[in-house]
Amino acid sequence: MYRYDEFDAALVRERVEEFRDQVERRASGALTEDEFKPLRLMNGVYLQLHAYMLRVAVPYGVMNGGQMRKLAHIARTYDKGYGHFTTRCNIQYNWPALTDLPAILSDLAEVEMHAIQTSGNCIRNTTTDVFAGAADDEVEDPRPWCEVIRQWSTIHPEFSFLPRKFKIAVVASQKDRAAIRTHDVGLQIVKGADGGTAFRVFVGGGQGRLPHIGQEIAPAVPGHELLAYLTAIIRAWNLLGRRDNIHKARIKILVASLGIDAFREEVDRHFATLRQEALQVPAEELARIQAYFAAPAFADLPRQSAAFDRAVLADPDFARFSRNNVRRHKQVGYASVIISLKPLDGVPGDITDAQMEVVADLAERYSFDEVRAAYEQNLVLPHVRLDDTPALWRELLATGLGTPNADLVTDIIACPGLDYCSLANARSIPVAQALSKRLADLDWQEKVGPVRINMSGCINACGHHHVGHIGVLGVDRKGEEYYQITVGGSPDEQAALGEIVGRSLPADEVAPAIQRALDRYLEVRIEGERFIDTVRRLGADPFRDAIYAHEFANA
Amino acid sequence: MKLITANRLSDGRVIYVGEDASVVEDIASAALFDGDAADAALIAAASRPATFVNPYLVEVTGHTPSGRDRLKETIRSAGPTVGNSLRHHETA
Repeated sequence: MYRYDEFDAALVRERVEEFRDQVERRASGALTEDEFKPLRLMNGVYLQLHAYMLRVAVPYGVMNGGQMRKLAHIARTYDKGYGHFTTRCNIQYNWPALTDLPAILSDLAEVEMHAIQTSGNCIRNTTTDVFAGAADDEVEDPRPWCEVIRQWSTIHPEFSFLPRKFKIAVVASQKDRAAIRTHDVGLQIVKGADGGTAFRVFVGGGQGRLPHIGQEIAPAVPGHELLAYLTAIIRAWNLLGRRDNIHKARIKILVASLGIDAFREEVDRHFATLRQEALQVPAEELARIQAYFAAPAFADLPRQSAAFDRAVLADPDFARFSRNNVRRHKQVGYASVIISLKPLDGVPGDITDAQMEVVADLAERYSFDEVRAAYEQNLVLPHVRLDDTPALWRELLATGLGTPNADLVTDIIACPGLDYCSLANARSIPVAQALSKRLADLDWQEKVGPVRINMSGCINACGHHHVGHIGVLGVDRKGEEYYQITVGGSPDEQAALGEIVGRSLPADEVAPAIQRALDRYLEVRIEGERFIDTVRRLGADPFRDAIYAHEFANA
Repeated sequence: MKLITANRLSDGRVIYVGEDASVVEDIASAALFDGDAADAALIAAASRPATFVNPYLVEVTGHTPSGRDRLKETIRSAGPTVGNSLRHHETA
């Protein structure tokens, strides 16, 4: 993974000291809250319902064991003993005191981490495929390019005060495992005409109040011109984007209003100038960064692992874990292992300090000291010997991290909702827990197969409900919590927004309604057909009927 | 009736204006105001920025939130409804 150079280290240290001074001036009354708010937001500090919330950047979701241990230390020392992984692959702490925040940032700096640009109207943490560098279908490892974007975008002088926040995601496979079309800019690494690295570019995606799926603006921008092209896109939006209405200040609104062709012309106008200037990615700098992401020293292993095969045969529970939470790896004899942060009755994305310590230990022992944060709010050990997976699984089980439900119906994405968030209209977590309990039967979950349920406590869509196969949106109806259900959303290479199926439901009706929809799917699916494919074939009507079946029965 | 709530500057915790302009953490101890007195008390709280961050009025019946944001205010006063679920794994 990338290691800070002297400039990175100095920059982060300076920002910590700057914020320490700002906190002291706020505490002394020298700064008002109105003056302090933009300063704290620039350091990832929000003021939520019950306390300050600190959002820590996990660049492209990649961490080592030492960093995970530091995150555990922070949870234990300054918070209530846990952290929350988000759909942006960051980690949030829900309870830090303002007066502790400089110390927390100082601790983070010790392990080359920070909270810069995790909030505010700037370019946020770039995300990527959680299996980057391990996936057997990627054109190349996307992480060095994420690092190039990180270095370019961090405290970018032109883009530090944008109309609103700006999110970039990168994948390097045909399969989109980073939901790139739901980002302001989505990048897919492809082979250019010359055989070199190029980027298929999507622009104007985003969720929230006015959701849009990103549109292709360029089929193959050469790698060395990536930053010039990104600059052209963001410059065009920065100049033309609306600032009079916060809900219309995102690039998706500009792209939709201009039309993709007119917006492309505007971008190309800037790009024509920028590509002539010095804004190129130097080959030697790219090579230097790529060296940090060189593949680990994989052993030369046989394709079959006798230990893995024996464990699958001997233990049905391990067999289930291997089916659901173990993924193919490009290196023979290795696999990527998904650590579910969605235990029965758990809070999606939450992990205790003790569990973080265990994950750090497992990463060091089994995965070349690497752990990844997935946007699905899970963790991944990317490079595990198949031989080691049974032992790893037993250790995960012992610490409550062995739930074998990756990509199944209880692998629910959910924002913190009204239990923590000052923006939310309704709670998300209790509804996710009710679903988790109702749909807990693992045999049934496997029978249903992959279904993504996404839940948000408000229209800001931190739980990505728009692109859930089944989406749940909490709404306020005269002071009461209700939940609007969508069907048919998809975050991947066939990205789509879900269709609202009908009137919103009270909280206690959500889990039964979704179970009825899934039962209907089992009735109408063609052999081998995934839920989302059945929805695409039949539309939302059969599922709408199932969701509101109790009303028809009572009519 | 109304009471005044805010977040405490030092740690962000939910606080209320109590009797004699004291700072209390329990909604049951919050002072209740009516009419112009509520507005005056809000102005007084806002004049103490070293303690009260973003003070505002909450409609209550007795000391129970009763306005449009009653659920939010109930959660603010009592804490998250789901905050302890993580501990099941460590104690199991």
